[in-house]
Amino acid sequence: MQVQLRIRRYNPEQSNKPWWGDYTLQNVNRTDTVLDLLHRVKWEIDGTLALRRSCAHGVCGSDAMRINGANVLACKTLVSSFSREGSNQAKIQVEPILGLPVQKDLIVNMEPFFEHYRSVLPYMINNDPAPADGRERLQSPEDRARFDDTTKCILCAACTTSCPSFWANDKYVGPAAIVQAHRFIFDSRDQAPAERLQVVGDTFGVWRCRTAFNCTNACPREIEVTKAIAEVKIALATGEV
Amino acid sequence: MTTVIGTAKRKVTIRQVQIQANSERYAYLFMRMSGVALLVLAVGHMLIQHVLNSSGNLTLLFVADQWNSWGWRAYDMFLLAFAVAHGLNGLRNVLEDYIHNPNTTKWISRFLVAFGIITIIWAGIGIASFDSEAARAAQEALRQSLGQ
Repeated sequence: MQVQLRIRRYNPEQSNKPWWGDYTLQNVNRTDTVLDLLHRVKWEIDGTLALRRSCAHGVCGSDAMRINGANVLACKTLVSSFSREGSNQAKIQVEPILGLPVQKDLIVNMEPFFEHYRSVLPYMINNDPAPADGRERLQSPEDRARFDDTTKCILCAACTTSCPSFWANDKYVGPAAIVQAHRFIFDSRDQAPAERLQVVGDTFGVWRCRTAFNCTNACPREIEVTKAIAEVKIALATGEV
Repeated sequence: MTTVIGTAKRKVTIRQVQIQANSERYAYLFMRMSGVALLVLAVGHMLIQHVLNSSGNLTLLFVADQWNSWGWRAYDMFLLAFAVAHGLNGLRNVLEDYIHNPNTTKWISRFLVAFGIITIIWAGIGIASFDSEAARAAQEALRQSLGQ
């Protein structure tokens, strides 16, 4: 099939203005991913195209992009999802994720995103000595289940950069950082839920969430992001985790 | 400080956490509670005014009859207070999304609080000082002057 691929290009060394690059690709399989198409452009048409990708299998989270207006991972998005059954044509538009400064083409500066991520102390804090048997700190399956969903985050930033509140104000910690906070706040083995709740309970924390649900729609790992944010709000309101 | 307050029957550990509260937390709680209250008050108001009674009958006399009871006056005062405060806090949330200067947002919050308080007091005085008898007499006088 034939694909009309439109890519938002930007190279600050050449021009301050971004532009659209149009590429027509032939002999595309319906089962190809958008990442495959971007590779074809980079390897066969224009080697200057800049993009991030690593595993290409939806695990590393490097290639979050705005494809036909929605934040997705290019490596998990099939060409067939933009073409009707039986049609041999598709139009695909690829842009960098919104709300973070674009460095070149599809590459954005992730540092503001990771700054928010680090602010929620995204690591286990437990000052008790390790168990006498030297093995792991145990918890019940029910306790583990409370934060199971939020352990799936791969930090691709698809949720945060789909959030209208984050677009409006980049001081908002954003859905991804709250998901990471949730993962530790509700972990019975962690001893610092109060510190994390202090961060996400700030003026630029969970209260900025307007429950638009864009984050939940965007998450390539199908994490119920808005639900996790609501659970953190309830924890802040009740003081119970 | 974290205190484990027990593992319930479900084997889920629930811990009590002491968090330094801020105004946003109270604003969030207020929006939830006033939202539920408004659901009852505003929907009730609409049902009374437009379903149980015809909107064609909403005259001064109707208001005079309704506000003859202090219960209805209290109902309308709660509706007024919750609607104004809920709406203005919503407006503050929207404005603070787009206005990033902390000083400006502080002054906007202060202005909205002052505006809300003045509106509630002003309209509250209107509801509390409404004279049903005088309103009935005025309606009657109007009817007579129109020869009805």
